[in-house]
Amino acid sequence: MTEPGNWFERDPLWFKRAVFYEIHLRGFNDGNDDGSGDFRGLTDKLDYLQWLGIDCLWLLPCFPSPLRDGGYDISDFFSIHPDYGNVEDFTYFVDQAHQRGMRVIADLVMNHTSADHPWFQQSRTEPDGPYGDWYVWGDDDTRWSEARIIFLDTEPSNWTWDPVRGQYYWHRFFSHQPDLNYDNPEVQEQMLNVLRFWLDLGLDGFRLDAVPYLYERDGTNGENLPETHAFLRRVRAEVDARYSDRVLLAEANQWPSDVVQYFGDGDECHMAFHFPVMPRMFMALRREDALPMVEILESTPPIPENAQWGLFLRNHDELTLEMVTDDERDYLYEEYAKDPRMKLNLGIRRRLAPLLDNGRDEIQLMHAILFSLPGSPVIYYGDEIGMGDNIFLGDRDGVRTPMQWTGDRNGGFSRADFQQLYLPPLMDPVYGFQAVNVEAQLRQPNSLLRWLHRLIALRKDHPVFGLGTYEALRPENPRIFAHVRMYEDDIVLCVHNLARSAQAVELDLSRWEGFVPEEMFGRTRFPRIGELPYLLTMAPRGFFWFQLRKDGEE
Amino acid sequence: MTSKSEQQLIEFVTSQRWFGSKTKEVAHSQVVDQAVLREDDPRLVLLLVEIRFDTGTHETYQLLADDSLDALTDPRNVRELVSLIRQGIKLPAADGVVEFGAISGFSAELREAHPIEAEQSNTSIVFDDELILKVFRRLEAGINPELELLRFLTEHDFPNVAQLVGWYSYAGRQMDATLGILQRFVVGRDGWEHALDTMGDGSEGFIASTRGLGEVIGRMHSTLASDPNDPNFCPEETSAESLGLLTATVDEEIESVFLDLPENVPELDPIRGRGEEVRERLRQLTNLGGAGRVIRHHGDLHLGQTLWADGEWVVLDFEGEPARSLPERRRKRSPLRDVAGMLRSFAYAASASPLLRGVEPPDGWEDRAREQFLEGYRAAVDQSLVPSGSGMDRLLRVFELEKAVYELRYELNNRPDWVRIPVAGIQRMLEDHVPV
Repeated sequence: MTEPGNWFERDPLWFKRAVFYEIHLRGFNDGNDDGSGDFRGLTDKLDYLQWLGIDCLWLLPCFPSPLRDGGYDISDFFSIHPDYGNVEDFTYFVDQAHQRGMRVIADLVMNHTSADHPWFQQSRTEPDGPYGDWYVWGDDDTRWSEARIIFLDTEPSNWTWDPVRGQYYWHRFFSHQPDLNYDNPEVQEQMLNVLRFWLDLGLDGFRLDAVPYLYERDGTNGENLPETHAFLRRVRAEVDARYSDRVLLAEANQWPSDVVQYFGDGDECHMAFHFPVMPRMFMALRREDALPMVEILESTPPIPENAQWGLFLRNHDELTLEMVTDDERDYLYEEYAKDPRMKLNLGIRRRLAPLLDNGRDEIQLMHAILFSLPGSPVIYYGDEIGMGDNIFLGDRDGVRTPMQWTGDRNGGFSRADFQQLYLPPLMDPVYGFQAVNVEAQLRQPNSLLRWLHRLIALRKDHPVFGLGTYEALRPENPRIFAHVRMYEDDIVLCVHNLARSAQAVELDLSRWEGFVPEEMFGRTRFPRIGELPYLLTMAPRGFFWFQLRKDGEE
Repeated sequence: MTSKSEQQLIEFVTSQRWFGSKTKEVAHSQVVDQAVLREDDPRLVLLLVEIRFDTGTHETYQLLADDSLDALTDPRNVRELVSLIRQGIKLPAADGVVEFGAISGFSAELREAHPIEAEQSNTSIVFDDELILKVFRRLEAGINPELELLRFLTEHDFPNVAQLVGWYSYAGRQMDATLGILQRFVVGRDGWEHALDTMGDGSEGFIASTRGLGEVIGRMHSTLASDPNDPNFCPEETSAESLGLLTATVDEEIESVFLDLPENVPELDPIRGRGEEVRERLRQLTNLGGAGRVIRHHGDLHLGQTLWADGEWVVLDFEGEPARSLPERRRKRSPLRDVAGMLRSFAYAASASPLLRGVEPPDGWEDRAREQFLEGYRAAVDQSLVPSGSGMDRLLRVFELEKAVYELRYELNNRPDWVRIPVAGIQRMLEDHVPV
């Protein structure tokens, strides 16, 4: 071995301990001065991501696309969008990330293509041609009316009339995104070819966009169908047979009892996002009440040993409120979307810091809770420095503005003319790049970035956070969210105060009588646990993580 | 061989000097792969042993075992390894393959083999004063920087290294990793001993040679930065936030060392409670315009990594700091890190002389060594790699501070008697003026 291709120790469960970082390539760093981020620019920032402690980068779609839906409208599955570079730039980037100990997964949309995709163009012009049956065509636009419309703000129907072919085509998302026909075995096979193509180039896996909707069946809402699960099992078997240590991450915005089906018996997706927990974290914080979180975690079914939840505070989409009750939604709109411009579809299109009124304690507390839960955390680019949003930009562009690297021109994102930038960087006095940027926060020992760096390092020293059991403590004080994580000999007690005021809490720790709690950041030892309830006083929005050590341990 | 119990493996590995995690609690161990290197009795087996800690993290170590777990003490076994490297063959492991590779420079039959003092992370054996085999103990996925840098320097005809002769490595289900390297053995005086010797005999022999040492290091950096077509070695411009990254990295090391300072070590008194002052000093030093360029570099340069051989300096041990992860050690950074390492080493020699030899260093010894060394370095290094003017002095101070903090942690864990050396260094940096 003089040139190893593999820079990782074998670890089929690496994703369970990993910290993920979600990157909007267009907005991360411009390497060729054209005003738009690209692979070369991203490669130049790998040292920063390595320093931050990121284990896996998740790239938003980077394939050729007319970009009418942020690249989720793919027009060629076997190439790179020219704005981002080419396949060589991509493989060089992946290799450079690997050499720094970071893996890379990419967004892939299996459900649909762009209407510009040659497959669709041939499908509409040649109904009897080779692609005639690659999409879902129908003469009747009332079929499958049980299927809900997801983009309520823009789409009146899941069917759109195509005057060229003289038929309706089916689309669960935008009308310019026709659904592929998975009842056609050629479509299935071609999608497997797409997966193989990128895995062969070194990609470590995929975030599978919009997986619940692959099939349509009469009398159903077209979500989570058995046929969809069967196809995912086929994908997983293919990946396991030919590749090692890869990951499939399902985006299924569903209730936990439906989402766990995407893990199968450990033979479908490795990971799936836990969507409902996130709005409940925001609710718990406003209501100063741990119950919404405790309940949703309690109602989350167990998952296979080799599977993991993906957890996040915010991502590139709106803060989705599909998985809450109507009352809860009204409450969250009332509290977090005071300006109607902040609403989008069934959600709130804002970044983390503005949602939390830029409160440092709140931002830290929410990260601490996120990092303490069973699952792998995903950080959305820019949230590590507390970037803001721009609600005057359309759709979800407001949370996709350029990464703020320095206080210099264009926030250090690009050397292009300001007018050339794909979106204007934030320049307001609170969140603008002169106030909020990586360079300044690296140099400030007490910055959010430096704090988050320590949090990530701490999590990585303790596999318990990714691999351990979870047990809620349910103290009498409802403002305290407390739980215990255990893995091998590591026992960690996490206590979070959701209230704006200082709180006292008594915890029943009698099972660990004789143990000594050691606070994990400052390594301060607290009084030994005795028979009586353990009393803690908590700062407003404060939290403690303790490692419970047997008395006498170093 | 697999008959060795888990407990025996743990006891053996944790009692070795090359075991790096003495402060952690070992919970389990297991053989994750093995390869028979010699069938004939006594069988020689290569073992990859995983040591798991109580929190669930782990490290992987290379063991060579016959009847004992320490087969490298028997010269026959070491000769076997060298012979395999010479043959350049591949041997199957249970779950992978062990590959041996030869480059050049083998002489006839090897006779004498003797181990040399164990290093932190490896075991080294010398043959006939001609070749030296270095067996890496702690294994990490990826190519070991020592193999990578030695090969690069050998291929680019940099004369002041012990040439690479061969290597062996593992590729398997568990990981791909460099297991060991074979290189020419250079007869010479260890640079550290050379410094202490001449301090004692009152000669200026060492001081006179430091300019040459600076030149060698300068040329080494220029060579390492000389191939724009090799992505692993081409020099890179520093990014806008790279000084920030450096500041954050060093600052966190300072913070964490000061957080862990033990209570009962009086040698620490001069700096105890002064962590914030040290961090403030760092902030002053890193207010720089530019940081030069970043390149692959030695990574752990000090006098003990050099040889004074027939009036020439030879640089050894390109593994990098053993406490850092492999991706961290392979990172391109400013070459001034190496320069700072050497400057710190002069301070070590001056402080160690009374401790080890009972000899006070002559007046101004360290200052003269620094001056000469820097003069030689500045004359030889590719100027585009380092910042100009006072920027170079300031960046050097930053790296000296980083080094002293690293030394402090190392000495606290390994050689409590030496703690006062990095303490004195940090104390002096607090009192020095910031170069303007």
